[in-house]
Amino acid sequence: MKKVYWIIALLLLTFIGDRLGGRILKSQLEKSQFRYTRMYTGQAQSDILLVGNSRGLIFYEPHIEKITGKKTFNLSYNGMSVDLMNELVHDYYDRYSPPAQMIVDVTMCDRINDQLTIGFNSYSTYSENLEDFIIERAENMSDGAKVSKYALSRYFPSLKGNMGHGAKFSHLFRYNSEIFQRAMFYRTKTDKDWLLDRVINQNMIDAVVDLDTYFIDLKPDTTDLNYLLENLKDIVDTAKEKGTDVQLVINPYYPPFAKTITNLSAFKAEVESFTGMKVNDYSSAVTDVKGFGDYQHLNKYGAKIYLDKLRSDGILK
Amino acid sequence: MIFNSVAFFAFIAVFLPLYFNLKGKARLILCLVGSYFFYGWWDWRFLSLVLTSTLIDYFVGLELDKSEDAKKRKRLLILSMVVNLGFLAFFKYFNFFIGSFMDMLTGFGMESSFHTLKIILPVGISFYTFQSMSYTIDVYYKKIKVERDFIRFSTFISFFPQLVAGPIVRAADFLPQFQKDREFNWDRTIAGTGQILWGFFKKVAVADSLAPFVDQCFMAPDTFSSMHLLIGVIFWSFQIYCDFSGYSDIAIGLARVLGYDFPDNFKTPYVSKNFSDFWARWHISLSSWLRDYLYIPLGGSRGGSFGSYFFILLFMVLAVVVTGWWWLIGVFVALIAYAWYYMRQGEKNKIKMYTYMNNMVTMLLGGLWHGASYTYIFWGFLHGGYLIIQRLAGPIWNKMLDAIRTPLFIQNALAIAMVYFATCLAWIYFRAPNFEIASDVITGIASLEGFNFGSVINKFIVLKGVIVIVILQLVELLNLRSPLYKVTIKNPYFRVVSFAILLWLIAFFGTFGSNSFIYFQF
Repeated sequence: MKKVYWIIALLLLTFIGDRLGGRILKSQLEKSQFRYTRMYTGQAQSDILLVGNSRGLIFYEPHIEKITGKKTFNLSYNGMSVDLMNELVHDYYDRYSPPAQMIVDVTMCDRINDQLTIGFNSYSTYSENLEDFIIERAENMSDGAKVSKYALSRYFPSLKGNMGHGAKFSHLFRYNSEIFQRAMFYRTKTDKDWLLDRVINQNMIDAVVDLDTYFIDLKPDTTDLNYLLENLKDIVDTAKEKGTDVQLVINPYYPPFAKTITNLSAFKAEVESFTGMKVNDYSSAVTDVKGFGDYQHLNKYGAKIYLDKLRSDGILK
Repeated sequence: MIFNSVAFFAFIAVFLPLYFNLKGKARLILCLVGSYFFYGWWDWRFLSLVLTSTLIDYFVGLELDKSEDAKKRKRLLILSMVVNLGFLAFFKYFNFFIGSFMDMLTGFGMESSFHTLKIILPVGISFYTFQSMSYTIDVYYKKIKVERDFIRFSTFISFFPQLVAGPIVRAADFLPQFQKDREFNWDRTIAGTGQILWGFFKKVAVADSLAPFVDQCFMAPDTFSSMHLLIGVIFWSFQIYCDFSGYSDIAIGLARVLGYDFPDNFKTPYVSKNFSDFWARWHISLSSWLRDYLYIPLGGSRGGSFGSYFFILLFMVLAVVVTGWWWLIGVFVALIAYAWYYMRQGEKNKIKMYTYMNNMVTMLLGGLWHGASYTYIFWGFLHGGYLIIQRLAGPIWNKMLDAIRTPLFIQNALAIAMVYFATCLAWIYFRAPNFEIASDVITGIASLEGFNFGSVINKFIVLKGVIVIVILQLVELLNLRSPLYKVTIKNPYFRVVSFAILLWLIAFFGTFGSNSFIYFQF
């Protein structure tokens, strides 16, 4: 009988520690100045909403605020997929009065990133929509290995996709992500100026001639060929419905690299026909090598050149 | 089925109650059926290979036991070797051998047009083949008694905790444990559960957390800075250690819960002070297998054999053909001439040279055991070289340190650091898909371009990696001082707290998503 008590003690201690740890981590998360904390704790009212993946981080907020005199909020994140962004945009509109303008870098329609989606578990307590979405996407995640048609596992019900429920089961697991770590990084400082500060290195400049052709993949292997574009359209429609002026752009690439993207024009045409909106192509708009951190990302210097161009072209109002 | 999957937890939830409620033959049959189910989860067709190996070695064992005729016994042993190594050669090395043969013909200026086959590598084939072979060899040499019970023998070959990635368990150690029913034992269950939890921490919190950073480094090393690559290589050394030893810990822990004892497979290898020490701590079940069934039969440190010469010459020819560096012939001829001269200087020298040769052959074949790739062979070559250099230069190095009166702890720290970094250098070849990538990684690190932390991309993975590695090392060092499993059995407070902490660490640091174990491919 004594042994049973020890098992109960272990289970209780594990449970209490997990909940207590979760509570402490949540309080730390709420102290952060990270963008999603600000969004879910009512500190993100803005005039200009900026949307993209890591390439969207070049919407350098301090400079935009300086040249427009308006408040900005950037929803972009490394490896962001458009379906997750769609949920975040909906959450933003549910919580704030609509911004006057939204600028979207459409090249984020190149991936589905379920791993990142699960990382947003840290914010799932703030949004039922987000929590449901994470559970739904987790169920689509593969087991990590290709299943042979001769595998016995095929004759049994699939047990995959439980990670979405993990955050309910363990509150510590909820904060097991890069998203939480980044939130801690911005615990005492703002993330508004989060942008590459380095200059592309000579090795990369030299290697560009040897690169294979790059292809913006519209993910024909996903369950629905148009899944990504539908999400983009939903973002655009939601914003337009609320009276937001939406601008679609393709942010700059390092020009010799941009030449290797064989289907950029086809991709642009596809987005335009799906959303019914013009896509402003700035893929080769910055030519100064010093303005790039790598092939796909401008640094601070390049971002300022690009944003000035958006402003003078009337895209950034 | 892999341990870090929901399917496995469902499997074990059904298996354990049945196991402890059955007795005798029924329990053995459950183990066998469970093991075949566990293996068939990937691909049931390959069960036929496990079964064939089992049948061959079972009947060869029986025949060996019956016969005293030396010739017949030898023929039976050869039959077992041919079948087991034949499967291994076909499924693991066929395309490699064909490719090497074509390289050889091309090297001699001949055109060739052989076709390689689309062969799927059966999971864990190298492990169960070695386990099965060791049984037959031991029966042949009359080191163990033959096993007459087919169910018991089949369960020994296919026992699911260690079927696909070891540890390779010897018949002499494991078969006798099936003789009597194992009762549920609380202390064993505690010790086993602790080891399982620790194994999960190593796998999902350390190995799988480091994996994305390492994958990135070895995919395009020329795009990363020197510091980034150095961290990538260090992370890789811990990834492979935790991935493999994590599996071993879970396997050993699971067996302990079921009532069986497996030998340790790892003993904190990165604190080794020399390379012999490293191999006494790393993948112990394989290194002891290679020692007993390859190194010693070759002559060990006491002499040489036809095999020593044969394999050394074979690898020399391969090295020339694969690299296309014909000047290597000159180097090898000079080496052979020197070896011949050296061996003629006396019996002591002769023995030393045989030891070097046997060390090298064992490590080269050990490298090949891991996979059909020249990079694995080169990894083996480096370790063979390290062992030889250690024998040659070790005494001089120690004398030098003594002469300048270096304190012992500095001597130890230097030795540990040297062994660790030399091991890391070899790990680069183990991980790289080809020599070009390996060379890019090494030259990238050596260039010292961007040798600062600011040049590292994805610092968050680095931070997490450093934290989990520090936790790992602290616990392992504590464990070296006094085995923690003993404390968990004796002290219930420590047990409850340490198990809870492990569960919290797994939840907070774990990377979930059923990532497979690296050693399954071997």
